Amino acid sequence: MSFQSLVSGSECAAPANPLSQVLKHTEGDRSLQQLHQLPSTAGPSVANEQDLALARQFFDAQGPPTSFAPHPAELARLSQMPGGQGGPNLHEAWAMEQQKQQAYRPLEDSKQAGWVAEFGAPSQVTSPVSSTQQQSISARPEFQQRNSYMSPMGMYGSSMPMYGMSGGMFHGMNATHTMADQGKGKGKSREADFEAAFAQIAASLQEQSSRIEEVKDGVDDINEAMEKTKLHENSTSETDFQKVWEELQASELPPPEGDMAKWEAEFNQLMNAQRDELEDDYGSSMQKAWETNLGDFSTDSVPGGRIEFDDEGVPVLEPYIFEKNNKYMAEPPTRSLLDEAKALLEQNGSLSEAALMLEAAIQKGQLGEGGHEAWILLGETRNMDEREEAGMRALMEGVKKAEANGTPGPGMMSLAISFTNESYDKGSHSMLLRWLRATHPTHPVPEETLSAMKTNSAWDTHTRITELFLDLTREHHSRGILDPDLQIGLGVLFYTNSDYDHAKDCFATALGTRPRDYLLWNRLGSSLSNGNKPEEALGAYREALSLRPTYTRAIYNVGVACLNIGAYKEASEHFLSAISLQESSTGDSNDQIWYTLRRALLSMERPDLANMAQVENKGNLDVFRREGFDF
Amino acid sequence: MSDDIKVSGFKSSELIAGLQAGFAKTSDSERQSLIKKTNGIFELQVSKDGQVATWTIDAKKTGTVYKGKATPKADVTIILADDVLVDLASGKLNGQKAFMTGKLKTRGNIMLATKLDNVLKTAKAKL
Repeated sequence: MSFQSLVSGSECAAPANPLSQVLKHTEGDRSLQQLHQLPSTAGPSVANEQDLALARQFFDAQGPPTSFAPHPAELARLSQMPGGQGGPNLHEAWAMEQQKQQAYRPLEDSKQAGWVAEFGAPSQVTSPVSSTQQQSISARPEFQQRNSYMSPMGMYGSSMPMYGMSGGMFHGMNATHTMADQGKGKGKSREADFEAAFAQIAASLQEQSSRIEEVKDGVDDINEAMEKTKLHENSTSETDFQKVWEELQASELPPPEGDMAKWEAEFNQLMNAQRDELEDDYGSSMQKAWETNLGDFSTDSVPGGRIEFDDEGVPVLEPYIFEKNNKYMAEPPTRSLLDEAKALLEQNGSLSEAALMLEAAIQKGQLGEGGHEAWILLGETRNMDEREEAGMRALMEGVKKAEANGTPGPGMMSLAISFTNESYDKGSHSMLLRWLRATHPTHPVPEETLSAMKTNSAWDTHTRITELFLDLTREHHSRGILDPDLQIGLGVLFYTNSDYDHAKDCFATALGTRPRDYLLWNRLGSSLSNGNKPEEALGAYREALSLRPTYTRAIYNVGVACLNIGAYKEASEHFLSAISLQESSTGDSNDQIWYTLRRALLSMERPDLANMAQVENKGNLDVFRREGFDF
Repeated sequence: MSDDIKVSGFKSSELIAGLQAGFAKTSDSERQSLIKKTNGIFELQVSKDGQVATWTIDAKKTGTVYKGKATPKADVTIILADDVLVDLASGKLNGQKAFMTGKLKTRGNIMLATKLDNVLKTAKAKL
């Protein structure tokens, strides 16, 4: 759900600040909403796909449904069929939940009760069944579908006019989840009942779908009975619903003044109880932030020593600086240094060595495929060797060359990842957007998103780009495709937003298809590490390093994880070994590692050693060896 | 000296003191790199049980941490509860979520506030 649509959107926008309305919307359970927007990260879950289908179809608001997932209401009924335990409990829990919902949603009592009754009735009718078996199983999906499609809307029918269009849709779409979740949230015993019932139903459903033919005999008669009892009810509620729906769609007018005011008052009262005095400068500051260009720091900061950004938040980088004393420059031009570098990388050779070969290759004009191959490889090699600055510059060159040649795409993902590491969030978003457009040219990108890249804040662009990636992922998912690169992109997006749990899921999913990708193992590890799980991260880093022992970045990351765990000596050792690996070929090492090493040494309460670890005079590592560091 | 910066009863007090100590020990070049990346003065107004403690993190001019209001004027003032600051620093909470849910309020450049993450978090793993 795009943020923007909430801001500018809905007819229900209160007379007051529209942004404060947004806040009210977002106060809800966003975690769930997000969760269900992630079909593939959660693995191939049946329910997810179906939820999405429901949502999609709902937004389309047309056409016959395709396949269907039973709504919880339906589940309750189904649960009566096999065995019958769990059903009543669920049903009871369900009814209670409905009552609880009243606290949150301004449903009228009468309608509420009516709904519960309506809901309750059919489940009792299901058991006495007699039938002619003629009912074809194919009628089932449609009936289920219709029913589940209706229920959430029927339920929210009365509140919908007040939410307005976007609100209504929103709740319709999520109703099934929020309700289920609230059920779990309250009361231990009920939670257990509910979960048990749910698990049982889920199991029975899977069983059914896996052997539809067999089930036929047993279920058909029940089905038909259900159909019979249910159909006319459906049709009435359908017309009711359709009437409301059409009315809403036809009229641009806001809902009746009285209702809205009442709802407003109730909502405000509820919200204010939670949010006491936060109202005033909170809303206004957000609005201000929204209106003024957020990513733009150019007005309020000192000139010089500052990083410049272009229109789309991509940092303007200095040109790549080649090593001055590169022994490979003396090689005869007959050798293809590019190929040799590739071979060296293939054999797990030294990263610094390979980078030197690539630099020489570039300087000699061996640019490889499309004129960008050597640059991108150099950038990626530099990044693996924990030299982000150099890597970023090389990747930038490569990406520009590829774009200039009319073959955009390569290197963009790596560059986006580099930007993420350096906290250039907008640059990262912008690069991911370019990557998506280059690699999936047929996927539609809203004009609004393109223009937002220039004007809106990183928070806004993050929402938009994530939405785009999720859209494409869903589309792929519906066709049974799993694109690991897309998962990586999503992972990076979540990571940028410090949503490390989701990032971890994405990288793990990508690993499912590329189990031997050490870069991915490292990314998985970093998501875990920054997500406050350094212990688990170590396992992922170990995988990365077993596939690629000279992976300097992973070694550095192991050090960071140790530092966060509090194992300062081990952390120092890892940093030292990362430094020695870097120094082995060029004698130079990365400043950042030294900073972090210093921090580890200070944490060990060894200021004497920390003094020897100055970036200004990168000391001889033998000193540390003598101090008992094993690296 | 680090005792001066503490305010009794505040959990985040330790955190700020640690940050100050960390800043004091960093070498010039590291401080420069932090300033280059962050380039902002943060004023933190931390509340707990009706009391408010104010600290300033200067990652723009001097690269220091001190108690009291920012001089010169802060680029962004962040108003939050003691617990929220602790959660932010430990990574349990992210800045945007805290802001969106109203746990954190700001005056001034909000986007700059997101960089506070980099200042508070000591070491970050890389992708």
